[in-house]
Amino acid sequence: MYWKYVVRRIVSVIFTYIVIVFIYSALFNTVMETTIRSQIDEMVKQEMLVKTHVMSPEELKKFQRERLEFQYKKYHLDEPSLSRIFWRSISTLKFDFGNSTIIKSANGDRKVLTIVGEKIPRTVLLFTLATFIDILLGVILGVKKAQKPGKFLDQSTSIITMIVYGMPTWWVAMIFIMLFVYKLAIFPSGGLHSIPPPEGFKYFLDLLYHLALPVLTLIVIGFWGRAYLTRNIVLSTLQEDYIMSARARGLPERKVLYGHTLRSAAPPIATMSILSLLFSVGGGLIFEGIFSWPGMGNLYWVAIQQNDIPVLMGNLAITTIFYLSGLVLLDLIYGLLDPRIKVGGKA
Amino acid sequence: MNIKGIKDNFRDFWGEFSKVKYGMVGLVLFFIFLLIVVLEPILIPFPEAGKRWRDITYWEDNPKNAAPAWTNWFTTKKLTPQSILDDPEIKEKKAANTQVLEAVFKYDYFYDVPPIDLILRATGKGLINMVIELERPDGLTLEVTKKSIKLSSEAPIRVSLDKEGTSMVGEFLKSYEDPVILQGISMSTVKPVEVFFVQAQNRLLDNPVPLKGEYRIKLTSVAVGSNSFLKEPEITVAGRVFGLMGTDASKRDIWSGVIAGTKWALLIGLLTSAVAVVIGVFYGVTSAYFGGTVDQVMMRLYEIFQSIPLLPVMIVVSAVFKPSIWTMILMMCSFFWVSSVRTVRSMGLQIKEETYVEAAHALGASNRRIIFKHMVPQLIPYAFASMALQVPVSIVYEASISLIGLGDATIVTWGQILHDAMQGGAVLQGIWWWIVPPGLFIAIMGMTFAFLGFAMDTILNPKLKTR
Repeated sequence: MYWKYVVRRIVSVIFTYIVIVFIYSALFNTVMETTIRSQIDEMVKQEMLVKTHVMSPEELKKFQRERLEFQYKKYHLDEPSLSRIFWRSISTLKFDFGNSTIIKSANGDRKVLTIVGEKIPRTVLLFTLATFIDILLGVILGVKKAQKPGKFLDQSTSIITMIVYGMPTWWVAMIFIMLFVYKLAIFPSGGLHSIPPPEGFKYFLDLLYHLALPVLTLIVIGFWGRAYLTRNIVLSTLQEDYIMSARARGLPERKVLYGHTLRSAAPPIATMSILSLLFSVGGGLIFEGIFSWPGMGNLYWVAIQQNDIPVLMGNLAITTIFYLSGLVLLDLIYGLLDPRIKVGGKA
Repeated sequence: MNIKGIKDNFRDFWGEFSKVKYGMVGLVLFFIFLLIVVLEPILIPFPEAGKRWRDITYWEDNPKNAAPAWTNWFTTKKLTPQSILDDPEIKEKKAANTQVLEAVFKYDYFYDVPPIDLILRATGKGLINMVIELERPDGLTLEVTKKSIKLSSEAPIRVSLDKEGTSMVGEFLKSYEDPVILQGISMSTVKPVEVFFVQAQNRLLDNPVPLKGEYRIKLTSVAVGSNSFLKEPEITVAGRVFGLMGTDASKRDIWSGVIAGTKWALLIGLLTSAVAVVIGVFYGVTSAYFGGTVDQVMMRLYEIFQSIPLLPVMIVVSAVFKPSIWTMILMMCSFFWVSSVRTVRSMGLQIKEETYVEAAHALGASNRRIIFKHMVPQLIPYAFASMALQVPVSIVYEASISLIGLGDATIVTWGQILHDAMQGGAVLQGIWWWIVPPGLFIAIMGMTFAFLGFAMDTILNPKLKTR
């Protein structure tokens, strides 16, 4: 009954998203309304400017009043606060984030959805690439560690894991930029591509060149923790009885490790990999800003500097969607890998 | 479980813990951090650094973007370090209505690049006439400036010898420098202090040779009037290298900032993780103990909290509401508790089935008693381990928010120093002493708690023990 599990999980996550959107709306209602009111005032003033020569002053005043009332009604600003929060949530749920105050998209659009939308692929590219390499290296090292626990390789890499545990990735990024970009001039200082961007295959190479340092930084700090967790998972699986019986049957150690152990260690390893991807998206907010990588994280920096509230809110809602879909994906993969979950037993 | 039981448990735990080397290293580092917090007033040269971090007048005597003093060890051209001459020979004469004070400051100069400025500071009142002279090792005596100050009440006096010395240096150059060269340059580009410390010879401007030896700066002040006086004169040699960790673009001493930030990092980390884990443990145990509907409702709520991406939310909340450090801690507490709930709940489900819980039930113990007395104590070791591992997370969160520039502006934290470094172009200009120390402290503190947490984790998970 895997599909039943899938449906239940998706329905529950949609419910969670609705609740979170309501919380956001309640929390940020006042500041959003102030922004929208000033946007409406601005708009009505523009409309009046066109009509100045056609209308008399009285007519103009009346026109202004009517327009303002119309717009306030449109955005439900004339209703009590609880219903305003309700309508704000509804429009957020419909992906209607309104217009930005300052920030524009690449082709000059001021719709928040377009602005955030064009950042998404860049963030996804950077973090999936980094996490992919990260997990690959982490799992390889983790298995190696678990094979000879307590030996030199295991101990030394475990110590490194602890050393980098509280090290902010963005700080390491600052150091790397200072060193590799400005001192040694090996890598570009940031951004998505050179200006002007080259054509065809060269564009691809240029993109890789710009990806190199951010990805390298993420991996250098990231994969130690991955290796440590993999080691722990593999190590506790290695103490199961069926491993002992496999060994007793005289199976080669390689087969025991890759055939038996890794097979049952896969679900938790998958879990932790996706979880780490999710957390890296959270931490990436800061990280992207350092590299001026024009993704969603960098958009937070820009929106805060420009004080562009609608963009900030839209970005937050979409980040939340990403985060939630990641959590669901996690459960679904887990369910697929671990047959006990499907029946609805306790996780 | 009674007190003695806990004591025995603790002794067993300590016995195992003390065998884990990195755990002990973590413990030592933790005590060093505590010591730094306690000894903060002794450790930092600027005792009010924490309170007046953003007050530019507090830092005005310092050089800008100066490297740490120990960088001199690695260079051939020695730069003058910052120092304060506060021990002059003072001769004071008081006559009717006048106070004559003569202070002689000795300064040993043996560097290659002269200081940026010499700043005289004193406290005075009334009409004060000052003469400042400089006796050089080569026997020349330069009268740097004559100055007259009138102060209606007691106030600090600040005289920059670099600014005041311009006319005297003009005379000095006329007698030593090649007139052809002198005509070609504008006097406003000459820095008087740089002339003070070079040998008096031809071409001293474009080919300066440092004059090393003992300099004597003589201040003679005559305070006229019945209540007039001048006291506590001292001279700051504004150097080109500064202290242990140098200065930033706003002339602030980075060492003082980093040390003053230690207590905040510890507070943020310990308070947040302690509160969060305590909430998490009780939440998880309660949920496990009651089961059924209570469990379902509580898990539902937990899932909602767990589904909120905290860092983005905190960034937006900070941008909109500009919270203080306490609000930020509160916000982190109200989200971080989720991290321990799942494990605690599954452990709680096991403990619940133990016979002694059943026995307590049968004896008529209340739910509260069972949870507090029988279940929670079992989870204490786990709680400590997850607390330790939560500390670095909280510190990095605060630092991240401060890095964007949304930190509490009334205090100084490591993240804020790094924010200033970003804004001040430290990365671009390679001002590494502005970037490395605060981040390194974050990293070391993170490492400290990681050592503690991982050590406890290894003890608590017998499966992970190495064969």
